[in-house]
Amino acid sequence: MKIFEKIAEDVQKGDAEAVEALVKEALSTGAPVEGILNRGLVEGMNVVGERFKNNECFIPEVLVSAKAMKMGMEILKPLLAGSGVKSRGKVVMGTIRGDLHDIGKNIVAMLLQGAGFEVVDLGADVPVERFVESAKNENADLVGMSALLSTTMVNMKEVISGLKGAGLESVKVIVGGAPVTGEYADNIGADGYAPDAASGVDVAKRLLEIRTA
Amino acid sequence: MKPGNIPVLTIEEETIPLAYERAIREVWEKGIGIKTEYDHPEDPPSKDATVMIAVREPFGQPRFHRSFADGLGGLAEYVMEVVHGAHDYWVKPLEEILKGTESKDTRWTYTYHGRLFEYAMEGEVVNQINYMIEKLSRAGHTRRAQAITWNTKLDPPTEDPPCLQRVWGRLCEDGEGGYIFNMNTHWRSRDLFKAWFENVIAITTLMRKIAEAVSEKTGKTVRLGRYVDICDSLHIYGSYFREIQGDPEKGIKSFFEKLESRSFEERTWNSDFIKPFFIDDGVGKGLRPMLAREKEMPGNVRDAVAEELRKMEEEDYVV
Repeated sequence: MKIFEKIAEDVQKGDAEAVEALVKEALSTGAPVEGILNRGLVEGMNVVGERFKNNECFIPEVLVSAKAMKMGMEILKPLLAGSGVKSRGKVVMGTIRGDLHDIGKNIVAMLLQGAGFEVVDLGADVPVERFVESAKNENADLVGMSALLSTTMVNMKEVISGLKGAGLESVKVIVGGAPVTGEYADNIGADGYAPDAASGVDVAKRLLEIRTA
Repeated sequence: MKPGNIPVLTIEEETIPLAYERAIREVWEKGIGIKTEYDHPEDPPSKDATVMIAVREPFGQPRFHRSFADGLGGLAEYVMEVVHGAHDYWVKPLEEILKGTESKDTRWTYTYHGRLFEYAMEGEVVNQINYMIEKLSRAGHTRRAQAITWNTKLDPPTEDPPCLQRVWGRLCEDGEGGYIFNMNTHWRSRDLFKAWFENVIAITTLMRKIAEAVSEKTGKTVRLGRYVDICDSLHIYGSYFREIQGDPEKGIKSFFEKLESRSFEERTWNSDFIKPFFIDDGVGKGLRPMLAREKEMPGNVRDAVAEELRKMEEEDYVV
């Protein structure tokens, strides 16, 4: 359907008003919710994610596109429950306790949503207990944590211990942020490490064994 | 320049994005390689130079480059942090700051707003920006209208002391009965690739605030003159080289290829485009979400941010 492609294009351009109008138009003509979501909004954001990974677009542009995607999502949200559309997995994420720098986490959250994941964003400076409670209450498949300071990244280990202590061993953990290294991720028992925001989606897909078409 | 000497670069451009791009190119091409404490052992040495950058029209359009490490709403919140002290309440108590690197409290040791507007000294608090406004209003030609940030007791032991050191300003007659406000800022150290642009957007907004306050006090027109930005060490960290150089084998473009693949208009934004995102970027940042999210922000600061929001919602306000 041409309208799905148009929605995807306008997500890439970051034209939120156009996306909003097109999603309404698509619904009014009886287009399936799943098509609008996956072939329109998600496809558009996927292209943005790929362009970001290939260093073809700038960080603020990713977030401008994310706003456009979210505008469309807001319209679809009430219709999704009855449409049978399934997310690729549920991700609880936040910056670790003591860390107020959240740009990396925000980009990963947007790109994950754009790749079809359901994201529960806990925000910045998230206490250990809140990660664990949310992972449990939300029945999360994945917990994502980021830190920008070497003084705060030590709290990541506490979250991993907390998840294990709460019997949530099956929940995969992905970590990232400027001071975090692959070696550090291994040492604290994380399942995955994203060296940058752009690779966060690939790592999430790998951990949940989702094949990329 | 002889070996071991830090290159000295001078850049003058019409607008902020033009100056920013030129600075990145020049520091990349002419900067000396210096390993810093922020580089990972496996990273190449940072590129570094002493640089003076003059921007002739700090609010000239397009004012915004698209290359910076945040979203537009995040940038708006940072401007509120510098100009109105929106995050002064994130600074830890004095007894924790004095512990230096031993402190387990991860809150901040300073904000620029805190140092410029509420500089603590001998048991008193000095509003240095107010001093600048008063001094300039009385004698625009003064060479003493300045504000400093460095605290000789608190800053040396901390891991992350202020980069901005000093703000200096002076008025010159415009020949039409009004004034031109010239401002210089001095920085001991600066991350060019991921901090310079946001710093300059915030500090030139402060420049406009000072000019507006002087205009109100003197009853004369005060227009913005050139903004000059002087860095002892303007650097591109080694850890960014991968992003700047790209990886042709993996199809990852270099930063310069990315710039060259677009027209200047496609790598910048003007203030009209930015303003709605400053108000609310739709993904959780901006002045409106900030006021809703940050419940602990003190009332007077909240009022100042709300007033800024009210002005932004007016049509002719330029961000």
